[in-house]
Amino acid sequence: MKNTKFILASIFSILFIGMLTSFTAVENSKYKCMIQMKNYTGEGAYVVISLINNQGEYQQTLYVQGNDDEWYSDITEWWKFHGKRRPDIDAITGETISGGERKISIIEIPNDKIDAGYKIRFETAVEDQEYYTDDVEFELTSQSVKSKVEGKGFIRYIRMIPQK
Amino acid sequence: MIISIWRYSHLLLAISSSLFIVIASITGSILAFEPISNQLQPFAIHNLDEISITEMVTALQSEYEEIIDVSVTNDDFVIASVITQEGNSETFYIHPSSGKKVGNLIEKEGIYKFATNLHRSLFLKSTGRFIVGFVSFLLLLIIITGTILIAKRQGGFKRFFSKVVKEDAKQYYHIQLGKLCWIPLVIITLTGVYLSLEKFSLLPNYKVTHQAVEASETAKKHIETANFSIFQNTMLAEIKTIEFPFSEAPEDYFLLELKNKELVIHQYTGEILSVYEYPIVALASYWSLLLHTGQGSIIWAIVLLLTSFSILYFMYSGFAMTLKRTKKQHIPKNIYKKSTAKFIILVGSETGNTYRFASMFFDALIANGQKAFITQLNTFETYENAEHLIIMTATYGEGEAPSNAKNFLSLLKKTSFDQKIKYSVVGFGSLMYPDYCKYAIDIDQSLQGHKNFEATIPIYKINNQSFTAFENWANAWADYTKIPISIKKPTANINLKKLREFKVIKRSRLNIDDTFTIHLQPVKKQKFQSGDLLSIYPEKDLIERQYSIGKIGNEIILSVKKHEFGICSSYLSQLSENDIVKAKIKRNPEFHFPKYANDIIMIANGTGIAPFLGMINENTDARNLYLFWGTRTKASTAIYKEILDESIASDRLTNLHISYSQETTQKEYVQDAIATQQNFIAQVLQNDGVILICGSVAMQNQVLHILETIIKSKLCMSLSDFENNEQILMDCY
Repeated sequence: MKNTKFILASIFSILFIGMLTSFTAVENSKYKCMIQMKNYTGEGAYVVISLINNQGEYQQTLYVQGNDDEWYSDITEWWKFHGKRRPDIDAITGETISGGERKISIIEIPNDKIDAGYKIRFETAVEDQEYYTDDVEFELTSQSVKSKVEGKGFIRYIRMIPQK
Repeated sequence: MIISIWRYSHLLLAISSSLFIVIASITGSILAFEPISNQLQPFAIHNLDEISITEMVTALQSEYEEIIDVSVTNDDFVIASVITQEGNSETFYIHPSSGKKVGNLIEKEGIYKFATNLHRSLFLKSTGRFIVGFVSFLLLLIIITGTILIAKRQGGFKRFFSKVVKEDAKQYYHIQLGKLCWIPLVIITLTGVYLSLEKFSLLPNYKVTHQAVEASETAKKHIETANFSIFQNTMLAEIKTIEFPFSEAPEDYFLLELKNKELVIHQYTGEILSVYEYPIVALASYWSLLLHTGQGSIIWAIVLLLTSFSILYFMYSGFAMTLKRTKKQHIPKNIYKKSTAKFIILVGSETGNTYRFASMFFDALIANGQKAFITQLNTFETYENAEHLIIMTATYGEGEAPSNAKNFLSLLKKTSFDQKIKYSVVGFGSLMYPDYCKYAIDIDQSLQGHKNFEATIPIYKINNQSFTAFENWANAWADYTKIPISIKKPTANINLKKLREFKVIKRSRLNIDDTFTIHLQPVKKQKFQSGDLLSIYPEKDLIERQYSIGKIGNEIILSVKKHEFGICSSYLSQLSENDIVKAKIKRNPEFHFPKYANDIIMIANGTGIAPFLGMINENTDARNLYLFWGTRTKASTAIYKEILDESIASDRLTNLHISYSQETTQKEYVQDAIATQQNFIAQVLQNDGVILICGSVAMQNQVLHILETIIKSKLCMSLSDFENNEQILMDCY
């Protein structure tokens, strides 16, 4: 009895690992992404770039501008997603962006998320100031990944182009 | 006891912010290591002023697929963010000439992250930031009040950096360190306050604005990036960041941030499309950050580190001083009412030291069954039954009254008495200040002119809290009033187990004037010098007695006068060879053999000759030593004769003059001998020579009086000038 349980578990886990690898096997593409901030005053802004599915749920963190994790919990919506598991995001973390500044970073998006109803979300928060859940948010299409999109909060606009 | 408003605020500010300041200085000293360790990394490029942007861009373009941006840190590291040939996005340190990677980015270590957070916001986010900013401001106030206190104490801002009188070690180093670290302290707090103001947007805002960037002439010839004249002419030392165009679209541009401005540059023509000069506020922020963190300079980072430590010492010594002072200020409880007391003791004390002496005197009167009343000078009023008024006061700063004595002179004018009162004034001070005992002198003069008051013994001045001098005054007062009081010397607070052992090598017979010499040798090796003090605590009363040491070879030579009932001198006079004496050597650097002076005058009377015997022995490099010694009779020289004769013969002593005060012919005191040598004394002082005085306080006062006359008339300067210059050294008892 015990043995069958063990075998079952093994099979499932092998299947599961297989599924995972098949997921990660999907090719990623790199995009150059520029965030241009408005001329607001105050501290540098935390900007979190996330991948959102068609249900409006967080799928993946693509980039975080702001490396002091003391403040992460203030980016409340994202924190509900990220805070639960807290995966290592060191490789995709940069510094906060101050008013008037612009920042170019390279983000990677799985190819199967383009033209598939997925959205990219830029969430911004500044110490003691507003928090914008969807400062910039748009659907990922092969057109939109090489466009310029205006922001509603601290971001003036973002620009994206695929990396050759 | 009222203390001055400055001292009160200094203390109050320190107490209220102490916890935060301790946290800030501990974390600050940890953080100082970050720039130091960063600077020790091999990534710094030292010839940034020789490498142009063109050179770097050319190197980078051949090395990588694409460049996102390049920045030069305050530590002179060059960071490039690039897309590699393999298509990976990477950021690392490069060498700008080769474009090659030299290392991965230093990750801020956990301890620094933690310390930064604590230092900046106490883990309390904005609230914490506010607290830290506010405390920096308080620290600035503490520095200001501290500066005022030092200036007052030194007698004016001009004397701020002149020598401090060493009365108490903690106090001395508190002041010395305060002077030494003054500049870095001011910089740290000012920049700290500035950075906080910036965080709270309390500074004038500035916005980086570029004119609508429009490529002027599309027809203009495209040139190679490497040929842009702005890139050829700008060296990396000037730049902060250069951001490469986002895309190949002509409206995308280079953004070049220099230290003082930022430029927008056309990506194909190299034309400068827009310039934004940073305002003063931005430059001030840049410098505040550099100065506050020590980035970019190891030396400054070390200065910051030491200053952080010094703040901790300020906290410690400051509070220790306050505690000690509150203890010292323990004013004895009056048993008799002021209206019934016969003896009124009035005290003027800034730091509480004078109170200590006044209390001893008060206790002695009470022990004698006298009705005494003690209070501070500011509470002066009519005392119906007073017969004696004893005023003991210190002087503060430039001859001013201590804060609890400020009102005395005006009160004196208003107050009247029905009876005549006898008075005596004791001034406490330090000869190192130009206004030595000035306030006591002022009081003495006002009393002299007052009809209700009658002088007893003349005003008595006590230098550097000499207990012996105080005892002398008390004896003089007791003689005059016929009240046999005896001042009880406070028992030494000493751990007898810590005393060292000294072996008696030899002891001379008792000289005709009851003096003798004794040679001791430390059983365990110990460092000491002529002029240091040997403290002996006889088992009978454990009261400390100090003798000035002369060092001959590795032996200590003491010269002792045996007093009939003297416990310690009798004990020493009975020692014989190989006996063991327990004692402690106290270093006395204020009275060491001058290292550099060429002409040295030594003045002593009686047993005060001991340290000089050692110093003469030390004079191996043929400097000019002149000894003026006063003793009673020719016979009293017997025990020193051998050493003195040898000194003259070996040329280690240039000249010896002995004054005999008890010989029938030619009676002379040592001060009389000095008085006949005016030109010589003036000349020695002028040529940076040094005068050392050792012996009784009475002799010291006479000699100083004569020296002052000589200095005033021949050199037009004052005694305290030479004292501050360490050209007059004294050890008198």
